[in-house]
Amino acid sequence: METKIDFTLNGQQVSVTTDPLRRLLDVIREDFGLTGTKEGCGEGECGACSVLKDGKIITTCMVPIGAVGGSDIVTIDGLKETEQGKTIIEAFADGGAVQCGFCIPGMVMAAEDLLRSNPHPSEDEIRKGISGNICRCTGYDLIVESIALASERGDGLW
Amino acid sequence: MAKMPIETAVRRSDAIAKASGTQKYLSDMTFEGMLYSRMVRSSIPRGIIKNIEVPSLPEGYYFISHKDIPPEGKNELWMIAKDWKCFAENEVRYVGETIGLLVGPDRNVLANLLDDLIITYEEHEPAISIEEGLACKGGAFVNDTNIFCELEIKTGDEMDEVFNRADRVFEETYRTGFQEHVHLETNSVACVQEDDAFVIYASAQCPFYIRKSIAGLLNIPYDKIIVRQTTTGGAFGGKEHFPDVLAGPLLVAVNTIGKPIQMVFDRSEDMEFSVKRHPSRTIIKTALDDKGAILGMDIDVVYNVGGYLSCSFVVLQRGVFHATGCYGIPSTRIHGRGVATNTFPSDAFRGFGAPQTLFAIERHMDHLANFLGRDPLELRNEYLLKKGSLTNTNGHVYEEVKLPEMIKQITDASDYWRKAKEYGRGTGKGIGIALYNHGGAFTGNGEQMIIKGHARLHKHSDGTVDILVGSTEMGQGFQTALRKIAAQVLDLDLHMINYDNPDTSKVPDSGPTAASRSTMIVGKLVERAALLMKERYDSEEDFHVEVEYEHPEGFPWDQNTFQGDAYLGYGWGAAVVEVEVDALTSEVETKGIWVSHDVGHPIDELLIRGQVNGGVIQSLGYASMEKMENKKGYFKQNSMSDYIIPTSMDFPKMESFLVDNPYEFGPFGAKGMGELVFNGADAAFCEAVSRAIDRRICEIPIPPETIVELEIHGN
Amino acid sequence: MVSTYIPKTLEEALIIRKETGARPLSGGTDLMVQYRRGIGVTPKFPWPIMIVSNLKELIGINETPDGSLCIGSATTSSEIAASPLVPWHVREASSRMGAISLRNLATIGGNIGNASPKGDLPATLILLDASVVLASVEGERTVLLDDFIYGAKKTLLQDDEIITKIIIPKPARPFTYRWYRKIGTRRANAITKLSLSAAITIDEKGVITDFRASSGAAGPKIARNKALEATLIGKNVEDIPSLLPSFLADYDKIISPHAMPEYRRTSTKRMLEYFLTEVSKRPSGEIIE
Repeated sequence: METKIDFTLNGQQVSVTTDPLRRLLDVIREDFGLTGTKEGCGEGECGACSVLKDGKIITTCMVPIGAVGGSDIVTIDGLKETEQGKTIIEAFADGGAVQCGFCIPGMVMAAEDLLRSNPHPSEDEIRKGISGNICRCTGYDLIVESIALASERGDGLW
Repeated sequence: MAKMPIETAVRRSDAIAKASGTQKYLSDMTFEGMLYSRMVRSSIPRGIIKNIEVPSLPEGYYFISHKDIPPEGKNELWMIAKDWKCFAENEVRYVGETIGLLVGPDRNVLANLLDDLIITYEEHEPAISIEEGLACKGGAFVNDTNIFCELEIKTGDEMDEVFNRADRVFEETYRTGFQEHVHLETNSVACVQEDDAFVIYASAQCPFYIRKSIAGLLNIPYDKIIVRQTTTGGAFGGKEHFPDVLAGPLLVAVNTIGKPIQMVFDRSEDMEFSVKRHPSRTIIKTALDDKGAILGMDIDVVYNVGGYLSCSFVVLQRGVFHATGCYGIPSTRIHGRGVATNTFPSDAFRGFGAPQTLFAIERHMDHLANFLGRDPLELRNEYLLKKGSLTNTNGHVYEEVKLPEMIKQITDASDYWRKAKEYGRGTGKGIGIALYNHGGAFTGNGEQMIIKGHARLHKHSDGTVDILVGSTEMGQGFQTALRKIAAQVLDLDLHMINYDNPDTSKVPDSGPTAASRSTMIVGKLVERAALLMKERYDSEEDFHVEVEYEHPEGFPWDQNTFQGDAYLGYGWGAAVVEVEVDALTSEVETKGIWVSHDVGHPIDELLIRGQVNGGVIQSLGYASMEKMENKKGYFKQNSMSDYIIPTSMDFPKMESFLVDNPYEFGPFGAKGMGELVFNGADAAFCEAVSRAIDRRICEIPIPPETIVELEIHGN
Repeated sequence: MVSTYIPKTLEEALIIRKETGARPLSGGTDLMVQYRRGIGVTPKFPWPIMIVSNLKELIGINETPDGSLCIGSATTSSEIAASPLVPWHVREASSRMGAISLRNLATIGGNIGNASPKGDLPATLILLDASVVLASVEGERTVLLDDFIYGAKKTLLQDDEIITKIIIPKPARPFTYRWYRKIGTRRANAITKLSLSAAITIDEKGVITDFRASSGAAGPKIARNKALEATLIGKNVEDIPSLLPSFLADYDKIISPHAMPEYRRTSTKRMLEYFLTEVSKRPSGEIIE
């Protein structure tokens, strides 16, 4: 039973007509071809599918598209075009945070979410801020340092 | 222009694309006319398939099984042996064994078909644990003994004689459990036809392994199968042989249907139905003289292989060769067996058999010290291997062993001695130390006799150079490290060197990306090739240089008797872990982690640090929380909420040291390190907890509920 | 073919519920995971679904005239954790549910409706004698949460009802000492392995006027026994050490962990003993840690 759902995606007004129970993750990846948002677990545990919904970080693998009507969705594709996104991405690249890379778009989203509410977080606050994002490669230390680097370089952006 | 030393960190070339989400992984790729597929698997651990009731298939949907293997093909995946079947025919050996594929355009329809497909079995009694496998519960299903593979090595005097003259004997059993890789990108493979060849796109470590494994299914020559590695989101050994299990059925399916087909596991499939680390049981029996000196050790190693062999014999060999760890023991007898059980076959996982026996020997040294009333670190120091020491395969250690320096680094930084004395035992606080190593590259003469790796460089007229090797980037940074080596030798800027994901039709076989061999062996090949290219670089426009592996002279090895130099060089490690155990909940808070490693010489300091961090945290997860139980053939933990791996809050920032110890045969003195970094933090953690609660711990993982059991029931 | 509804008002939702029996889905964090079917596949439910996450009537945290707190059932866990109006215990539990992303989606109504024994919020709500308001086209009724959830995944929700509000009464006096501890499977992003919530009120003479304790993930439903709590009420706080052994033994009987029983019993006993022992020393801080 298809329903028309209107929302904002990376600043653009968009519309899909589809089964409202389809996962937001599948709609983003398949209907819009935005594959930067990844599926790591399908149960909201790993954070690889994170986007910002009305300014709050959420895991899209557990959200039905029917609940998204009227929302403002920002994916990594939108975030990477902003000054804040670029600062975080560059810091990750310089800080050695990226290994296999699969968790990283989600980590970048989590970093953005954290810095918006806390532009100069302590190490503990950074660890807490990314505690919903699982990484198997890095052991987290260099991701944490990279976020601190982004905060330093982007002083004033958040 | 002054050159920076090679170890100076550079930005990885793939970092921006990965962080921006623009880097495509296999599940992000589509092919025109692509179909999807779902695996149909055995739902019982052991038995015979009586009937497969396939629901009525809509137009464009197919069920593929062993019946679709053409008569000239063979139903086998050639890993090392050829026992792993592509599709089960009548016998099933474990839950999750591939029976067939459902293929079609709509995944919702496929999900419904999968639910409606009914298989009936005649169920037989399964053997699950090591003990059940050894006892041939339900009857042996491999050889008459359920022993897939076995080896024994000895040094010094016969152990029976040693035990006869021993004053005392100390014996203990150690166990480790299954560990699941949890690479963030699940197993993913696609197969398409291109002209008259089949192209396999795979998230994989070893493209050439896939080609070798599946060609026999259709009985086609290797040049009719092209394997292209896609950017791989983590592997850790879980994508060394296992991609064959996806690629084989897909090849058969594409051959039948004639359209591109993709298979991407979802997480619960990947957890429940993929290869894991071998569970182990190691019994160490030490003979002591009247002064408490070690006369000899008798070590019995058993690994739970599961239903098929895969690379388990090689895993077992490495486990056996690492069974005496960093120590020179006067007489040894080490016996290893790989036992068949009705569980999903175990396979490569970072450390490849060494972590299990290194865990055992480290626990043993700690407990032996207690038994003798000695300090655990002082006891270890007395037996440390040195340059020239005899190994347990009657070979030698050829390099300077820098463990004493490394131990000093971490005991100073952690204030180990003061804390060990202050915390004592049973105070809720504990600190532990572990020493470990990892033999670099393939055992013995495997590089020369089995792999014979090649590397090729191609200079273009614009001055850029392509590195053409079969090695893969899976996150460890090899694409960056190898380019640095070439750039440094050729004295070019890094951006002039290209190294793309390998395509088997375009690159030579450099051997698998495994065994911590890439930098050490393939890096050396590229260094050699670059030196040759350098001589011609200015005078020639466009040319290739290709080199083949050359085994250094003077390192004898007999693969039949396992005698001689098992490894030419070792990575070495030392770890200190400090913990505090909560008095109310027995949750463990790790207060500090200090590690030091000898990797020869770093090719990139930041890459090394990243690998150290990742490996150590994986090892700590293995010890503290990664519980994977198999109940009657079924894995109990099949989601990321049940099988838990560390988050950013579970362990503190670690302090990481390196020692410089250039390795003669490695590029810029580098040795392997990808697996070394996994091999010791688990034992250090375990010892720290053991001291904190004053209980002996011989088995991991030790989640809080296990700690409470130990606290209440003692040993 | 199963239908999905997206009502625009609560009134519309109640009618749909009556006519079709459609189940409310608010955050989706339980339902979308429980009924997931793989990559690119739509979750499949055995009943019609009604998405209620955006219904304004179900969102919000307000104080009522009598001092109780009223939380809309579609209010998210992160909104609850951030609200100073919400009692401490509930904020603590809310802030430790899953991870940040989950808390931005998961709702109190969903957590209650799912009624998992490991759910984070019910233990603290039951401690505080919370009630749920259930609405249908016929009207409303209020049920004590401890009665509403009567077993593992079992509630008294009728087929035509929707949980609309959670009412948390204000205790007669503020608690003197409070305790909340969630033991997760790891230090973050964890399912509850065990939780203990406790609170005690002591008057000027040292007499215990209120005492409550509830255990989460220690049985099919949240364990709380008012009769047992009453054995401490009216006693003097100085008597706690002598009352403790039999109290702990009795408390042990009200929890019924199916899995890891030794761990859950031992940890519960240790935490309760610690809380009560500390309290008997009359420390200055309100939160016992």
